[in-house]
Amino acid sequence: MNENPPTDAAGQQINCPNCGEDAEPGDLFCEGCGQDLPDGITPAAAVGNRRPGGMAHPNASSPTRPMDMNALSPTCRNCAGTTFLDGYCENCGTPAVKVRDHWQERPATWVAGMSDRGIRHHRNEDGLALSARPEPGSRAILVVCDGVSSSADSDIASLAAARAARDVLERPRPDVPSVAGRISAWNERLAMAGAEANKQAIEAGRDPSGRAGERQDSPPSCTFAAAVFDSGVIVVGWVGDSRIYWIPDSGEPEQMSRDDSWATEQILAGVPREEAENGPRAHAITRWLGPDSPDSVPTRDSRVPDRPGWLLVCSDGLWNYASPARDLAEVVRALADEVQGDPGLLAGRLIDWANSRGGQDNITVALARIAPIPPQRGPAAEAALQPTQPMPEGWNLYPDADYGSPET
Amino acid sequence: MPSFSAEVFQNEFISEGSSDVHAIVSVTCTGAGEAGRGGGGDAAEIIIVDTSGSMLDAKIVAARQAAAVAVDQILDGTWFAIISGTHVATRAFPYPNARVSMVQMEPGARAAAKEAISRLEADGGTAMGSWLKLAGQLFDTVPQATQRHAILLTDGQNQSEQPHQFQNAIDSVTGRFQCDCRGVGADWDVAELRRVSTALLGTVDLIADPASMAADFEQLMQKAMGRGVAEATLRVWAPQGSQLLWVRQVSPNVEDLTSRRVEVNPLTSAFPTGAWGDESRDYHVAVRVPPQAVGQERLAARVQLLVGQETVSQGLVKAKWSGDDALTTRIDPAVAHYTGQAELATAIQEGLAAKAAGDAETATTKLGRAVALAAETGNDEATSKLRKVVDIDDPATGTVRLKRSVDKLDEMALDTASTKTTRVNKR
Ligand SMILES: [Zn+2]
Ligand SMILES: [Zn+2]
Repeated sequence: MNENPPTDAAGQQINCPNCGEDAEPGDLFCEGCGQDLPDGITPAAAVGNRRPGGMAHPNASSPTRPMDMNALSPTCRNCAGTTFLDGYCENCGTPAVKVRDHWQERPATWVAGMSDRGIRHHRNEDGLALSARPEPGSRAILVVCDGVSSSADSDIASLAAARAARDVLERPRPDVPSVAGRISAWNERLAMAGAEANKQAIEAGRDPSGRAGERQDSPPSCTFAAAVFDSGVIVVGWVGDSRIYWIPDSGEPEQMSRDDSWATEQILAGVPREEAENGPRAHAITRWLGPDSPDSVPTRDSRVPDRPGWLLVCSDGLWNYASPARDLAEVVRALADEVQGDPGLLAGRLIDWANSRGGQDNITVALARIAPIPPQRGPAAEAALQPTQPMPEGWNLYPDADYGSPET
Repeated sequence: MPSFSAEVFQNEFISEGSSDVHAIVSVTCTGAGEAGRGGGGDAAEIIIVDTSGSMLDAKIVAARQAAAVAVDQILDGTWFAIISGTHVATRAFPYPNARVSMVQMEPGARAAAKEAISRLEADGGTAMGSWLKLAGQLFDTVPQATQRHAILLTDGQNQSEQPHQFQNAIDSVTGRFQCDCRGVGADWDVAELRRVSTALLGTVDLIADPASMAADFEQLMQKAMGRGVAEATLRVWAPQGSQLLWVRQVSPNVEDLTSRRVEVNPLTSAFPTGAWGDESRDYHVAVRVPPQAVGQERLAARVQLLVGQETVSQGLVKAKWSGDDALTTRIDPAVAHYTGQAELATAIQEGLAAKAAGDAETATTKLGRAVALAAETGNDEATSKLRKVVDIDDPATGTVRLKRSVDKLDEMALDTASTKTTRVNKR
């Protein structure tokens, strides 16, 4: 699949440090021995020829990554105020909550996320983990896991899973010049991330928190939705019904993930969307991560966006209020205008919006602002437009939708 | 050391779409000590006696006696003076030719002051504004006295100055000292004196019989001397986007504090409350907050009492939106009681004003409403005073008839008592 020459951009040969097999930049594993190839394998000389910063911050992780999830959140859920007195926001009077119930992450100016308890639930069982390099449009990793609420420790499982996946995805790896190479590399890495997330969700069940009482009827489990943006390509993977959307500033938005849910199965079987999504088992998911998971390998897909927009990963606490991509895009675009395109503020506005609609579930939003679009080489970009997995029969939820055609 | 506590009585639960939050915040002070002895500054007292021509015979005799009894109650060390008020204000003690404007109480000063009081004679007009202004000037000479209080006694209306002069005088001394006002006989104007007492954080009352004047002054001065906390401020925070509808003292008497509001910052208001002794005062705080979804909570108000810059107690008023009618429809008994008492005060005052203006229909309606409210809230004092003004057919519905002839003193007693509230059994 990979058509790149076996040298990096500087024409230098790369070898596996374990077995000496020839490797090329972008390979995650050695073809010879299967060893995970570290970023460090890339010759230093090659780094200088790449985009500034492409390798300069191999571990650019969130400066705002929260440490103590049980501490009180330093930021008001309602107004983002930062002064609290008597356990209430000094500005708007909203009660302070634990970081676990409301937190934001902002690994870079162009990448941000927020997770919130919502209004009706007493605990936030969504997980969120982000990573990004500082340069806008370079590399971003967005992971959202939604704890399945029939178990006591789903909040632990979902956060552990999201962070484990993020940690796998942000492990050093070389920049890959070709679009197709990047996509295939990230496909592999997403599979690994899903496996590690599944392992952590299972771990959460092995060591129960001992929380008294409720909801011990099933082991902790969660959904998985991860999106990577890497120098012009979006590669996504999911298990369950947390979603990934690509929302260009203009043109047709797209739901990149396809829910592993009863509702989606119904839709694929021909039941009208409205009816399926409001059915008695609409929220039942058919795949998840956790001890009793039937199949935890993330489904993957990719795309090469041709114009600026928003890469959005969210839990159903958000999309429940605007499920079709066009509806959600309308909300995102309107709110993005209000906050002048700031992803941190936009995440907060989206959560406010979901809460204003009732906040029936936990709400988690991860966003990367993709602008400007880095130029791609023609043939490789064309190749990347081919889905890496075949679309299931009848997947098109909007037979009438006009997706436009790629600009040449 | 004085110690304060605050307790909040409210129903935190409000229904979906609701925005108004009501609470009674009850503030209690214990260990207040005595005026001027808390180390925060000296105390100062001025007795203002109306010596206009109308204060003839029994009234001036009773006034001299009352002033003397009050002087007896002033603690040694307290700065004091006596003002003789007619169409002009005169310092009666220290005598006009004294080099100082106020002196500290001690046995010799007490005897000399009583001597000066015995020389007060009734002659001249009534210009209360000038009396207040002189009191302000005298207090200004003792900056070391941080707790300043006056008693004003009159028997008539403020005939010797224009209403705007009177109001200007009140405005010019507001915030500089507190003043309790007493009217003797039936010839003074309750509303006029209430303007003074409201602005100067004091009380207004009727002394129907000159013979009871001494006992009243004794009690008044004892109370003033028992206020060991010179000045406290009520501070109310309400969240952004909310509106502080009102802050009203509702016990021991109704006093709307809203007009006394001083902005601390856009979310915080301060209201002066004057000096405190060992006592409880209840405040009704009403806030309109932006409605939230069911399940949401907001702090609707933080009510604090400050002495100097120090917060000595606080209560939190909350709003929790709920879909459970059983929770949201309950009205807190304290809020209900004091809401009724405040409405009672208004109904009495408006009813009497209508009656004085010859509008029998409005008077009957308002006083009827007052009768019903007094019965509802168990305010027996108000009920017995109302009985002297109206014949009650049915207290429950407030069906009343105006009495044909009413003693002016009974009407004035009803008016002055209108703001006095009965305490509620809050739990
Ligand atoms: Zn190898
Ligand atoms: Zn706030």
